[in-house]
This record gives sequence, C-alpha cells and structure tokens, in this order.
Amino acid sequence: MKDIEIVRMLKFPRDSVWNALTDSAQLAAWLMPNDFRPEIGHRFTFRTKPAPGFDGTIHCEVLELSPPERLVISWRGGPLDTRVSFDLAETAEGTRLTLRHTGFGGLSNIIPRLVLGFGWKGLLEKKLPGQLSAPQPAGATAWR
Amino acid sequence: MTQVSPNQDPFRAIADPNRRRMLDLMLGQERTVGFLADDLGIAQPSVSQHMQVLRLAGLVDARSEGRRTFYSVRPAELRGVAEWIAKYEAFWTGRLDALENHLSRMKSKGTRAK
Repeated sequence: MKDIEIVRMLKFPRDSVWNALTDSAQLAAWLMPNDFRPEIGHRFTFRTKPAPGFDGTIHCEVLELSPPERLVISWRGGPLDTRVSFDLAETAEGTRLTLRHTGFGGLSNIIPRLVLGFGWKGLLEKKLPGQLSAPQPAGATAWR
Repeated sequence: MTQVSPNQDPFRAIADPNRRRMLDLMLGQERTVGFLADDLGIAQPSVSQHMQVLRLAGLVDARSEGRRTFYSVRPAELRGVAEWIAKYEAFWTGRLDALENHLSRMKSKGTRAK
C-alpha cells in the first residue's frame, strides 16, 4: 500500500546520501532536531513546532536498517501512526531516493476518486443545501 | 466486541478495509446497513459496528425515513483527513529540497578540505 511516494534523483554518491539519512547531526540539518541512532529498535524523537492536536513531537523507532540501501522508521505524532521508508539505489548519475510515507489508512486510494469522480466542490454542493438549511444537530461539527 | 471510544480519530476509522469500502459505497449516495451488508458479504450487526466507528469519527451522517436509516459520507470531514496527507506530501517535498541543499554544502566543504 502506498500513501505518499516521492522519487528523487540525487547527483550524489549513495554513501553520502546514506550518511545524510543516518547521522543525527546531518538529519537535523535537513529534517528536524532528533536523537536518532542507526540501530534497529532504537526509539527516538523529532521535534518541531506544536500545532493544534499535535505537541510537536514525532515518536519514531528504527524498524529496518540495511546500509546503504534501506531505512524504515515508524512515525507517530498527533493523530498519525504511520511509517516512513527511504530506499537508495545507485544510478549512473548518483542515487535514486524513494521516500514512502504509509499508514494513512489507505485513504489516499479513495481521495483521487473523491476528487476526480465528484470534485470536492460538487460533492459539497450536492450534499450541503438540505443540511445547511436544517438545524444542526447538537454537537455537529461545523462545515468547513 | 469492538470497543469504541468517543471522538475516535478518523485515521483509525479508515484503517479497516471494510470501513473504507463502506465509505466508498456511500460516496455520492445514501446507503442502508442492509445494502452495505449485502455488498460486503458480512452480517448486518458487523456493518452496524463499523458504522458506529465511522460515525464517532465524524465521517458519516445518518438520516431516518420511516423505519429505515440512510447513511452518507460527510465530505468535509473526509477532506480534513485528505488535507493531512496533502500537507505531508508538501512537507516531504520541502524536506527533500533541503536534503539536496545539505548534500551540496557537504560536498563543497569536502572539496575545500582537499
């Protein structure tokens, strides 16, 4: 199941990219402050700005570590219980990095249908008129 | 029995394939528990339990007509979940840009050191 997948061609050797992913100080330079260590089972956190419903701490664990090819970490914060994987492949030009962020419940498989099939606007217009004119049930979430 | 806590978060609600299928079927039109049970090939009480999870997560609305209850998706709520994913996609794109910049800096440092 893929939720987010981003492929990036990097003009740098695979070992350099691997170090940037697995050295705590380097990770902090491009991602977030952390106490990462390259050991399977190591629990660590990333720290960022808090937001409503999210205290700014992302709780992680090293799940897979295969230098210099693959790193998988769990990624829990706010309402999310997900995982992030990094796969590195050598190419003539340097390194192909594939980032996958999965565990959004497969919702992303429905989203394209929602947007393409109905469109958010169409979906809202179709459903909303009757509900807007009717009194909102107690505790109903306001329509955004 | 599935224990259901109030304000169940939507990500957990949609983590189950049956519930995703139910949302899919309710997109754009109202459905009854009976219809969903037939389509999914599972018992009505199970569908009702799944429906309860979806309702507590705020993803589904119910409307009674006579003795029947029709359920439909609340698109605005689902959109909130979709926006989480969209934000993360933008987040990672930005972070990978930062990774490239970081690698460039490391390389030029290394070159100067030689």
